[in-house]
Amino acid sequence: MEDLTELLKGVLEGCVLEIINRNETYGYEITRRLNALGFTDVVEGTVYTILIRLEKNKLVEVTKRPSDMGPPRKFFAINDAGREELQKFWRKWEFVSSKINELKETES
Amino acid sequence: MNFWERITGSDMTKEFKTFESRVKKLPAEYQAAWEEINVNLWAHADFTGRNLIPILDGVLGLLEESAADGQRVQEVLGDDIKGFCSALAGEEGAKSVRDKWREQLNTTIAKKLGK
Repeated sequence: MEDLTELLKGVLEGCVLEIINRNETYGYEITRRLNALGFTDVVEGTVYTILIRLEKNKLVEVTKRPSDMGPPRKFFAINDAGREELQKFWRKWEFVSSKINELKETES
Repeated sequence: MNFWERITGSDMTKEFKTFESRVKKLPAEYQAAWEEINVNLWAHADFTGRNLIPILDGVLGLLEESAADGQRVQEVLGDDIKGFCSALAGEEGAKSVRDKWREQLNTTIAKKLGK
């Protein structure tokens, strides 16, 4: 789906953290994963800025590994602080989505 | 960074030389994107621009990785390079000259008001 940028802004960080939580991964893979989910407008640059924020807030561990071609890749793995943040995110998400659905149902 | 480097900015010149040689290895469309990012990021520079060096280094890494993956630069950065740059500068907490002026103004006023 297109034109989700504004709506996605606040939740994309949680989505990226969830993907990292499943498996240690890198930027390109995360972007492809989001694209496959249907978020076609998400580009690697966007994911890159989120990864920088996660790293800065110490929610992930970063390792540089050589790749078959090109420069070494940065791999991201979740840590305890990240898992805690992720739980918080899902609690917030449950709250927001249930309330919005509630609103939608009472309106129609 | 020693005193000489701090005054002349020669450490930065060195960094930029390495950046340049890395950029030259990128495909043409990536080089164009790099130019664009450079122009947009400098709006977020502090007085010397030293705060941008790690950011530029990271972005260049991203471009190198994506180019090696054989992606089009448009797929990587989207249409909004400006937005990408301000997000970047924001995440890295780069303070611009304007932020400093703003701070200065605020403290001056606070002082005048005797707070």
